[in-house]
Amino acid sequence: MKRITIDPITRLEGHGKIEIFLDEQGNVANAYFQIPELRGFERFCVGRPAEEMPNITNRICGVCPEAHHMAATKALDMLYHIEPSPAVKKLRELFYMAFYCADHTTHFYALGGPDFVVGPDAPKAERNILGVIHKVGVAIGRQVIDMRMRNHHVIQLMGGRRVHPVAGLPGGWSRALTDPERAEIEAIARQNVDFALFSLQLFKDVVLSNPAYMEMILSDAYTHRTYSMGMVDAQNCVNFYDGLIRVVDPDGNEWVKYHPRDYAQHVAERVEPWSYLKFPYLKQVGWKGFVDGPDSGIYCATPLSRLNVSDRMATPRAQEAFEAFYETLGSKRLPNGRYQPVHYRLATHWARLIELLFAAERMLELALDPDILDPDVRPVVNTVPDEGIGCVEAPRGTLTHHYRTDARGILTKVNLIVGTTNNYAAMAMSIKKAAQSLIRNGVVITDGLLNRIEMAFRNYDPCMSCATHALPGQMPLEVTVRDAEGRVVAHLSR
Amino acid sequence: MTTLVIGLGNPLLTDDGVGVLTARAVQEALAAHPIPAVEVIEASVGGLRLMELMAGYRRVVLIDAWVEDTLPPGTVCRLSLADLERGRPPQHLASAHDATLPTALAAGRRLGLDLPEDIVIVAVTVGNVTDFGETPTTAVLAAVPQAAAAVLAELRKGASNLR
Repeated sequence: MKRITIDPITRLEGHGKIEIFLDEQGNVANAYFQIPELRGFERFCVGRPAEEMPNITNRICGVCPEAHHMAATKALDMLYHIEPSPAVKKLRELFYMAFYCADHTTHFYALGGPDFVVGPDAPKAERNILGVIHKVGVAIGRQVIDMRMRNHHVIQLMGGRRVHPVAGLPGGWSRALTDPERAEIEAIARQNVDFALFSLQLFKDVVLSNPAYMEMILSDAYTHRTYSMGMVDAQNCVNFYDGLIRVVDPDGNEWVKYHPRDYAQHVAERVEPWSYLKFPYLKQVGWKGFVDGPDSGIYCATPLSRLNVSDRMATPRAQEAFEAFYETLGSKRLPNGRYQPVHYRLATHWARLIELLFAAERMLELALDPDILDPDVRPVVNTVPDEGIGCVEAPRGTLTHHYRTDARGILTKVNLIVGTTNNYAAMAMSIKKAAQSLIRNGVVITDGLLNRIEMAFRNYDPCMSCATHALPGQMPLEVTVRDAEGRVVAHLSR
Repeated sequence: MTTLVIGLGNPLLTDDGVGVLTARAVQEALAAHPIPAVEVIEASVGGLRLMELMAGYRRVVLIDAWVEDTLPPGTVCRLSLADLERGRPPQHLASAHDATLPTALAAGRRLGLDLPEDIVIVAVTVGNVTDFGETPTTAVLAAVPQAAAAVLAELRKGASNLR
């Protein structure tokens, strides 16, 4: 059997590889994505006071500390049995929308977008933020950085620290807003809406009007018909901060809708001998291996799947973009009025921009909400803690924190399901399919192999080290192609 | 403020916290013997966000953990940005999600951000960055005073240059 190895050399040499196994005919049989191991996070947390968790868990990721901070804070709400006031919820959500505006912008322009804006076959050296600036011009590049900086300013203002926020309290938020601050945030939210609209127009001009890109988006190589998961509000609209978890089947029928605290009844974790990471799947559907379709419990929790589970968007312009998305990609409306799900994985980039617009519009709504200036945001905690589950939509998928404590609030159990982990099985399938498109009958088209595989997982924006509970490092790739005897027949790296 | 010192890393990940611990030691030393116009922060970020933190400063000293197998753990090294272009950079000077620091700096300059020309990296070689723990391994912990002294020497050098 021929073996192809792709190494993302993160912090540990020899860990975190993509391995592609070929069958006797030289076709792709299996693709495995192995992950570097980071040990003992749960053990590290047990024995600590639970109220430290928002500030500990926001250290496990340098990319989305805000998401961990929020999930941990919500877990403390339940742990201490304090229902946050409407003002507290709105303050948190406002903060969280600023985070989404910065994060989704970064993904599109610096990470995922270069594949489309600069081009999938452009040299690696150009497929980065510099290449994007070159292509779209300095003025737009400056807007990208300004978008990040002004939203990071809001995060600092509301979260209490420049990078790792510290404002979350059980049932509360440590800092109320003043009216001048609110006005500043309102102005920033308006700029965010304009920028999101501009970005959707850019996507239309650069990607949708390019037949080659559209062909790639619609190609079988980047299509998987899995279940979709995402958080929805009471009207079944996308919500990042709070709501119920809704799962729809590959045809778009609601499979289940549950409270995040019941996650263990619906999601099980599959252990494979070749990876440290667990593969979540839908318990009631069952694990059928790395295959898609209605009989396989593999699901996706991404911007694309969040749109797929929703009946509509909660804000007007995002709703227009939502309709254009499904109509353009050929989705029909089901008898229940919902659109058929879109399963083209590369459409995730477009879905992310629609979410960016929603985040910006929602941020503006919250900045204009009279409750947002309520000074009473720090409730007294006088309850006995026991168990708490907190859940938000992180940009990379549904994020769940689960803590158990003794009566003093000392942690006895900690479990996290991070955004990327949800998509781990789907990602393995995407890597396999991308490899299949370039490896046939023993012929390995090395040109573009790295990039096609990278594109396959980049649209999930995986946070691999976070999924094993650590900071992200760099992720250069290394591919080793081995023949049946294990000899290296080709080697690709960057 | 004209000079920014950034302690990089995760203080919960054993040796990975050495940059943050060193930054705290620098801050303590500065409290006793101030050097004008120096600000010290800690951050677990890389790439674009790290670049953005530097905007508006004349000079930046980065402190980071460095997985470098050819040197024993706890070795304090002074690196330049040019050193990042070759070999394996210290832990936090790249981001899997956007850009390496040199790319991020190039992008920032291209976009007209006010970024420092003078960027020095004090890197401490590390062993264990995979186990959760708040205390670095013995050799790395022992290197913190030396790393802090190296940072302070950079700051004094800069301060005398400014005069």
